[in-house]
Amino acid sequence: MQLVAQIILNGMLLGGLYACMALGFSIVWGVMNVVNLAYGSMIMLGAYVSWLAVLQLGLPFAVAPPTAAAVLFCLGYILQRILLNRLAERSVFMTLIFTFGLNMALINLNLLLFSADVRSLPDVFTRTSLSIGELSAPWSRVIIFGAGIAMTGALHVLLNFTRLGNTIKATSFDPGAARLSGIDVPHVFALTFAIGGAVAGITGSLVAASYSFSPFAGESYTMKSFVVVVLGGLGSVPGAIIGGIMLGIVENLASLLLDSGYRDAIGFALLLVVLVARPRGLLGKRFFAEVKL
Amino acid sequence: MRSLSPVDPRPDLWTRSLWSAAIAAVVLVVLMVLPAVLSLYWLRLATNVLMLAVVAQGINAMAGFIGYPAFGNVVFFGIGAYGTGIAVTAGIGLVSALAFGAIPAATLALLAGPLLLRLRGHYFAIATLGLNEVVSSLASNLSGLTGGAAGLSLPLSSGIATDVAHRTYLAFVALFLASIVLGIVLRDSRFGYGCRAIRANEEAAEATGVSTLRVKAAAWAVSALLTALAGGLYARWVGFIEPSLVFDMAISVKAFVIFLLGGAGTVFGPLIGSLLVESATTLAWSHLLKLHLMVLGVTIMLIVLVVPDGVQGFMLRLWPALKTRLLGRPRC
Amino acid sequence: MLNVRGLSAGHGGLTVIRSLDIAIADGEWLALLGPVGAGKSTLLAALAGLLPARRGEILLGGEPVEALPPHVRLRRGLALVPEGRRLFPGMTVRENLEAGSHTVDASADRRRNLDQVYALFPVLAERARQLAGTLSGGEQQMCAIGRALMASPRLLLIDEPTLGLAPLVVQTVFAKLSVLRQQGLTLLTVEQNVPLALAHADRAYVMGSGAIVMEGPARALLHDPQLPGRFLGR
Repeated sequence: MQLVAQIILNGMLLGGLYACMALGFSIVWGVMNVVNLAYGSMIMLGAYVSWLAVLQLGLPFAVAPPTAAAVLFCLGYILQRILLNRLAERSVFMTLIFTFGLNMALINLNLLLFSADVRSLPDVFTRTSLSIGELSAPWSRVIIFGAGIAMTGALHVLLNFTRLGNTIKATSFDPGAARLSGIDVPHVFALTFAIGGAVAGITGSLVAASYSFSPFAGESYTMKSFVVVVLGGLGSVPGAIIGGIMLGIVENLASLLLDSGYRDAIGFALLLVVLVARPRGLLGKRFFAEVKL
Repeated sequence: MRSLSPVDPRPDLWTRSLWSAAIAAVVLVVLMVLPAVLSLYWLRLATNVLMLAVVAQGINAMAGFIGYPAFGNVVFFGIGAYGTGIAVTAGIGLVSALAFGAIPAATLALLAGPLLLRLRGHYFAIATLGLNEVVSSLASNLSGLTGGAAGLSLPLSSGIATDVAHRTYLAFVALFLASIVLGIVLRDSRFGYGCRAIRANEEAAEATGVSTLRVKAAAWAVSALLTALAGGLYARWVGFIEPSLVFDMAISVKAFVIFLLGGAGTVFGPLIGSLLVESATTLAWSHLLKLHLMVLGVTIMLIVLVVPDGVQGFMLRLWPALKTRLLGRPRC
Repeated sequence: MLNVRGLSAGHGGLTVIRSLDIAIADGEWLALLGPVGAGKSTLLAALAGLLPARRGEILLGGEPVEALPPHVRLRRGLALVPEGRRLFPGMTVRENLEAGSHTVDASADRRRNLDQVYALFPVLAERARQLAGTLSGGEQQMCAIGRALMASPRLLLIDEPTLGLAPLVVQTVFAKLSVLRQQGLTLLTVEQNVPLALAHADRAYVMGSGAIVMEGPARALLHDPQLPGRFLGR
């Protein structure tokens, strides 16, 4: 029984990481209907920027997440403004293929700059664990979970309680009507992508500190983000946390029962089930999925 | 929605089909002559071009005709490869072995179709990716059957290398021909008309009595069949397959880019696109090894930005501008 | 307030309106009538900046705006309530209204505009926290008008305000527009309901096939025997 509880706790904490990644992915998909296949590579880029800051420039780790966020914010803004905005009227697979090409380019970029070696940032978080009753939770995972909650909260506040959030939401529902309300739609799109980038940057720095990374490791982050967003529901920021936790728990429980090789497949099987049964996901907002399909 | 290639009035239907058949015959003759003039290296490239053209035609049936972005269509390639591979390893002859790959693939499409084809856009694309991941994972884990993640080796083909290469090439020519016939049928038949109606406006198609779910599932089954046959032949050709190879999303993407380049809904588009893409890939690989991913990635991005309706569409758009330049502005 | 000279516009390869001249005085209510396809929506889109003006000029308060994008025209005082309302369905009434005040920089002004809109349309205040997609047709129309008013416009263009609404609601909408007119707002309405439009407006234009085929004071047009014929393109 305690084993199961520990596994569930592990899954929950893992869900924090999943939520971090999915947030950026979800906001770009939800607002602009862009599925960014290069998202995982952007997370990796965030990891590399952090690695540069800490191991090459000798800066303290606390600097890494904001730096990575800033770099990817700018990169994201430029990418959307100059390139992706041109695809705004095009069909779904155009942007899919475009971001796939972008992914290839980013992977190559990371390869050239940093080589294919697997890297990580050692000794950032203590190796000790938090004790919750008879269960233990490694501090590094707890911190990531906390970051996931914090970013979710921040985005939720941004979208629902600020003018900028109002602008972004309006643009996501009807860009044409948004223009009539005086909103500069290309700028809003670019800003949204930039926010997604910033989230990727922060996630990347957390990944660098707790796991290892390499140019090709981004793939699985992108794929997992799909599953989390579909589970939690498109258009819902809290959905990313819920979806992430769900995926984390399901994956961990599944590896109790099945071969570890099926771990990733379980998430995708769950994705298929949700898509067939309730495409809106757990917390998907009304009027959102209908518009975005 | 992007506009479709113009729908010809019915009386010209036979003319168009005959024209396409004539062009196909010419292309076929050229293809048959190639083994006599090409070295094995170039023949191998040509075989690859044909294979990708077939896979792209499978994508064409989905994305170009019914308008559903089957990004994970490579799952059928993998099923074809493994089905055929396992059968050949068990001693079954090639032609029957191909059925061992093609039939499961088509069956999967017919079973999953009614469930997944209710989704649209990104959701459908992701569902197909999910499907691919699940099947790929099964292939990796059912080691007893598939050799697991370590892969499956097929017994060597008998005969000298040149003969084997020629036979492989000809097999792909035959498959390619089948895909062309499919393309013509799709373009000019009532079934194909129904497909394009769905792509243009699915609700309207439903209203005019087109049974959209059945048409979509049928289109996907056909696409699956074609793709699986390509995968099966591929397994026999290279002699060694593993999940990360034959379920690789990059194959789907390549096929998509080829489909884009060649133009949606066209018959010969996949061949044109495949020629262009494979030439570019080979050039990049041989000359720019360290940068080849970058080059390919940038090329893909450029293609999407600049030539969204394919080379033919690009030409169609260019022609009026060229005409004006050469002949002067017409007076109204 | 508005002076349009020689305006040509269209979409795709088509030129829908050719060489159009329009004038609206300050505080006037102009009705734009005409059958479907006459180019009325195209004209409004071109005035708002959603479609480029291929030829001609648009003067708002004496200043040329034909080269300006929609959000700049909005800041200059030109707002459009589009056909079909086009509210943001997953956002509340209040959030929709707030979206409309995007171009108003001072929060005090935004607050004041919101209060004024609530005063004009009390039903919006009641339903402030309701999702716009769940409102009735009439409520949606009022929300759309309210959203445009949030930008403090001088000239309000409204495309088909009563489309699909019940007769009682139609009366209410026009009554509210009359109130706005009395408060000094200049109005240009495109309207299918000819008698109602001519009963409320000051002047009217009749459009046909991309050109103005008739114009004059509304009361006069209402009784003009040539109106039905011109309307139908004879």
